[in-house]
Amino acid sequence: MSSLTRRAALFALAALAPLASATLAADAAPPVPGPNSWAAHGAAPLKSVETILIDAPPEKVWAVIGDFAHYDWLPGVLRVEASGGNAPEQGRRKLVMADGGAVGETLVRWDAERMTLAFHRDHDDVRRLPAINYMTHVTAKPAAGGKTLAEWKGRFYRGHPFNDPPKGLDDDTALTAVTALHRANLAALKARVEGGSSPLPACGERARARGEASACSGGAMRE
Amino acid sequence: MRRLLMVFVDLLLLTVVFAAHADEAFVTAQGADALDIIDAATMKPLARLPIGGKPAGIAVSRDGARAYATSPEGKFLTIVDARSRKVERRIDIQGGPLGVAAAPDGRHVYVADLYGRRLVEIDPEKGETRGVGVGAMASGVAVTPDGKTILVADRDDNAVSVIDAATFARVATIPVGRHPFGVTIDAAGARAYTADVESDSVSVVDIAARKVVATLQTESRPYTVALAGGRVFVANQHADSVSVFDAATLAPAGVVKVGEYPEGIAASGDGTRIYVANWFSNELWAIDARTLQVVGKVETDDGPRAFGSFVRKSD
Repeated sequence: MSSLTRRAALFALAALAPLASATLAADAAPPVPGPNSWAAHGAAPLKSVETILIDAPPEKVWAVIGDFAHYDWLPGVLRVEASGGNAPEQGRRKLVMADGGAVGETLVRWDAERMTLAFHRDHDDVRRLPAINYMTHVTAKPAAGGKTLAEWKGRFYRGHPFNDPPKGLDDDTALTAVTALHRANLAALKARVEGGSSPLPACGERARARGEASACSGGAMRE
Repeated sequence: MRRLLMVFVDLLLLTVVFAAHADEAFVTAQGADALDIIDAATMKPLARLPIGGKPAGIAVSRDGARAYATSPEGKFLTIVDARSRKVERRIDIQGGPLGVAAAPDGRHVYVADLYGRRLVEIDPEKGETRGVGVGAMASGVAVTPDGKTILVADRDDNAVSVIDAATFARVATIPVGRHPFGVTIDAAGARAYTADVESDSVSVVDIAARKVVATLQTESRPYTVALAGGRVFVANQHADSVSVFDAATLAPAGVVKVGEYPEGIAASGDGTRIYVANWFSNELWAIDARTLQVVGKVETDDGPRAFGSFVRKSD
């Protein structure tokens, strides 16, 4: 190689080097999410707000939603293990699911005067719900005729914590899933408040799931 | 008589020219994929520009000529002619462009790549010119008034990167609180304030000394900081509030209840008001910086974030 060609080659290398390093920086591995998934999420928070009209006064609805430790009326929930009552940051619960899994939640806000509470999921499980950093707000609002407009809303991110999400972990999937969850929860709440019961598992089913005998006598049992 | 009339007309014209516009708020409405331009004095919407790519970050140039909006999902920067309220051009930026700040001389814009540990320098005419490595999940960006130093909040490193604007080299990192997101520099270029989301604090940084000189306790999950009327204002996203501190003594000066999930916060040109974008309730609120009263509210398009310096100051 002549010295001129060598010089040209070196010059080209020098010119291209910044480009190469920029590419390298862009392809650098994204940060790995830690055990606390609050640490990693995409750049677009999402929201979902659903409401349902309940034929009961707000106080009656608040008596149910304000009881953080006893949300066993939620669809798919077998029982709730809770501690800390309704004290923000101390109120904690584990929703033991009929499918064998569990969902941990922590209460962050509880306001009896405004009949609203807020809680967040402690750990994300995108196989259960393709959304992360999920904060929920449930509120009982007075409606006409002494009824209640119950509102279930949430702030969350899609399941994939960085950009270019794969299908199934993208924004639309998260929105659809969380909206469906909110609607199902509100339907269960309505049934619970209006009917005095909720779509619970069949009598004795929960006891059987725990491997215990049940004293089921034919009526719905509240555990 | 005629001459007097001419003088009168001239004066009237001058008044019109100089009172051409009040402060305007350029609010990125991420959920709506749009940029809302709002008359901040009357709290009335002026225009809505479709942007795309889930716009979040925003910076208005010091001379009010341009606004820069980042779209982290679409991976581009949109340059808006702020006077005519039109999109001028888009510049593609790899990774996740989020935090953005304009150099005081208007010649460059700095964008932090959330995923790529980079700060990029953009020439509004030519596009990306330089890049420098910063820390993990680089978020907020701020420039000193003399244009010489750029600060980047390296969220997941719990630190701030210090960049020399001339050489575009990283010259230092300063440990701050946990998960700094927004960073704001004062008018003297002496102090920077980071909103530390996970430690519910604001770290007060002496820029020259490159260290934290004080830590202020805020309410839950502070995201951004604005400085106005000798005070420090912090948007606490999970507390639906704004914490206020005296900038000189750093003593707490009050807490203002605002809308749902406040994020972007910025001062009016004359420092008498601050504006805060409430992301969940879709409203921009105006707060009197002295009395701490809420003095105005306006509905925005969905998901207002306004992350950055979003006020276009009146002439």
